Amino acid sequence: MKKKSISLVLGASLVLSLAGCGQEVATDNNVTAAEQEATTDNNATAVEKETVSASEEAGDDSSESINVYIGGSIFDSSMDPVKGFMSYGYPFVNEALIQADTTSEYVADLATDWEVSEDALTYTFNLREGVTFSDGTPFTAEDVVFTYEEVQKNQANNENVDLTKLKSVEADGDYKVVFTLNECYSPFLDTVAMLQIVPSDSYNSETFDTAPIGTGAYKVAQYDTNQQIILQINDSYWGGTPDIEQVNIISMDQDTAYSNAVSGQLDVVMVGSTYINETIDSMTLHKLETMDVRNVSLPTLTEQVMKDSQGNEYNVGNNVTSDIAVRKALSIGINRQEIIDNAFNGEGKPAVNFTDNLPWASTDDYEDNQVDEAKKILEDAGWIDSDGDGIREKGDLKCSFDLIAPGNDEDRYKLATALAENAKNLGIEINVRNESWDVAVVEENTTPIVWGWGQFSPTVIYSTYDSEMFLEAQYANVTGYTNADCDAAIEKAFAASNQADANAAWKEAQAIGDSEYPYLYLVNIEHSYFVKDNLDISESTQIPHPHGHGSPIICNLKDWVLN
Amino acid sequence: MRNTSLWNRRTRLTLLIVLAATYLLAVFFWGLFIDPSEYGVHYENKLLAPSGQHLFGTDAMGRDMFKRCIKGLSNSLVIGLLASLVSSVVALIMGIASAVFGGFVDRFVNLCVDLCMGLPHLVLLILISCMAGRGTVGVTVAVALTHWPSLTRIVRQEVLQLRNTQYVLASRKMGKSYLTIALTHMVPHVLPAYLIGLILLFPHAIMHEASVTFLGFGLPKEMPAIGVILAESMNHITTGKWWMALFPGLMLLLAVVLFDLIGETLKKLWNPNSGNE
Repeated sequence: MKKKSISLVLGASLVLSLAGCGQEVATDNNVTAAEQEATTDNNATAVEKETVSASEEAGDDSSESINVYIGGSIFDSSMDPVKGFMSYGYPFVNEALIQADTTSEYVADLATDWEVSEDALTYTFNLREGVTFSDGTPFTAEDVVFTYEEVQKNQANNENVDLTKLKSVEADGDYKVVFTLNECYSPFLDTVAMLQIVPSDSYNSETFDTAPIGTGAYKVAQYDTNQQIILQINDSYWGGTPDIEQVNIISMDQDTAYSNAVSGQLDVVMVGSTYINETIDSMTLHKLETMDVRNVSLPTLTEQVMKDSQGNEYNVGNNVTSDIAVRKALSIGINRQEIIDNAFNGEGKPAVNFTDNLPWASTDDYEDNQVDEAKKILEDAGWIDSDGDGIREKGDLKCSFDLIAPGNDEDRYKLATALAENAKNLGIEINVRNESWDVAVVEENTTPIVWGWGQFSPTVIYSTYDSEMFLEAQYANVTGYTNADCDAAIEKAFAASNQADANAAWKEAQAIGDSEYPYLYLVNIEHSYFVKDNLDISESTQIPHPHGHGSPIICNLKDWVLN
Repeated sequence: MRNTSLWNRRTRLTLLIVLAATYLLAVFFWGLFIDPSEYGVHYENKLLAPSGQHLFGTDAMGRDMFKRCIKGLSNSLVIGLLASLVSSVVALIMGIASAVFGGFVDRFVNLCVDLCMGLPHLVLLILISCMAGRGTVGVTVAVALTHWPSLTRIVRQEVLQLRNTQYVLASRKMGKSYLTIALTHMVPHVLPAYLIGLILLFPHAIMHEASVTFLGFGLPKEMPAIGVILAESMNHITTGKWWMALFPGLMLLLAVVLFDLIGETLKKLWNPNSGNE
């Protein structure tokens, strides 16, 4: 189609044109579009796209559609933004006021610019004019106010977007919104980027589960529960018409998806590390950068019974991992690259803290595979292999603990097994168990677990390191890590009135926390996809993928081009 | 006409049973006492095709599939054994009680049997396994608690026949207790049918354990089990690693067929008249 349309345009001016030439031009054109998008100059991109789509319309005779498999998580939850859909930030139906760019900085989306007051209590957003929802109603400040108030009213339904710090949201004319906070809350911009706007006139909490109406490049044309979601172009999209008219997101098993890709029925297929050494005709493997890390929680308390604020009793702690020597020896002594090679066929990058593509993440990297140093730490702490079975002991206590690879996640199980193999070198025995999340959550305060974290918002530091989170929420500070200095640094980060101060405080909190190794960071995973050679997924505008088991590839769906 | 040759049918059948039982016992004990490192992780041997060194090849973690199969089958046999024991005791008690007492007890037992047989077996297994906390315990309890109904029916039928025989009626008139009658007159008669039923339970129990595990409601991933191995191999079958599914599947099939063979053959040996039925 593209070939034809470009040929037509060329034909008018050049009279004679070869089909091969036409294709080359088309490809060049796409690359330019992608590159311009990368500069985040929205206006230029819009103009560029307008010209492309105009030429398309000239010779458009067939409908273009692609079939994609991006894992099952998109089918698991409601598509309603008010209930937290796609809040990790990759809009395609509903859009937020701002969005993260490829460097994890925030850029305009439905807002054109914004201002934060000196005291960091007032955020003012100027909104884009001339935007309409896919049902034809205009987008105004009223919709923004409605969306935020709706989430606040139903906060219990939305665990991803936390608006408890928001005091009020008010419209100032049609294209200006003013947010007022109760107290300083530096991650507020993250919250704004996570909440996509719904129309105040047509919002319906039930129908939006499967058929949300938004301002994005695509709209949901059909939703078949646990089968497929069909997206079609939203004709009134403000950012120009996307190239691909229809996208079918298909739900299936990983192995079925792979064999469908082999038989040529899928254009994009997300694959686990099992498949990355395979080749598929006319498809290429793309490994995309993520901000997703896998780490292992190492409980820092000794075994005991503790109470939460409601007086419920919990068994907490682990007598082996509560010794900082064990935690430190593991952190510096294991060979992360070898673990990744063994578990993931080399897919992923070694990580000792959160990823460097996040502005608030710690950059204090250290060498691992210091086997001798690690052994010395263990021996100094009294862990000695006296009975010659390859596992150290301290008195009657064996240097051995269980590790839960939770859920139905083959990759976490492989990672846990590879870690256990590697820890044998240090004389530490790790018994890997695969358990359902139900069981894992019950044991989260006593048994190390393989976790996955990947998000724009630094609030993850609060939930994983702050002592006041211990026992108060699922997944939160499961190690029982308690350090007043760390808590104070987190407090400082929340209260910071500008981003630079906040990021510095977040890094300080991580520096304090990581010095006691409550988490054993292992790998910054990569997302791998087989993509048809004639499909350009615009890698230059792909954001670092947040946690999402493969679905984040559609973050820039509107920039994809089918040749 | 008598066949006096050494290789008459009876001898051949006995030999068959001995061979089959030897194979199964060998797998059982080999698996029971195998050193875990034999089927442990060896990353340098990832995904090797079958060879002299690794008869069934290796998997994505370099574990020897042959040794894993042996250990897995052995685990299945342990569960099958437990399940058969529990099921058979339940069946024996329920069957005899039902036939001897009759009336309300009989109706109650029949109700239980119908209730269990009315539900799809796999659904019942998954239900019980989940309720009992999944994992090894869950699947063992589920398999043990769901295989008694058919055996109960067999035992009940046999006992019903016996109940009206002259010697049972006579010993009742002579004032023998129900328990004495059950133990001295009924159990010995029921025993052959019961033992055959017991052996024929094994293949069911093993198959069901493997299916429940395959579906993810049974034995955990870290335990070698045929169900786990087959579930894992699903991810590799599309990329042409055929050995990960084929050999474990065959091993399971062989074990099941052999148990069936032993049961059916024993039936012929102990009750030759069944051929005329």
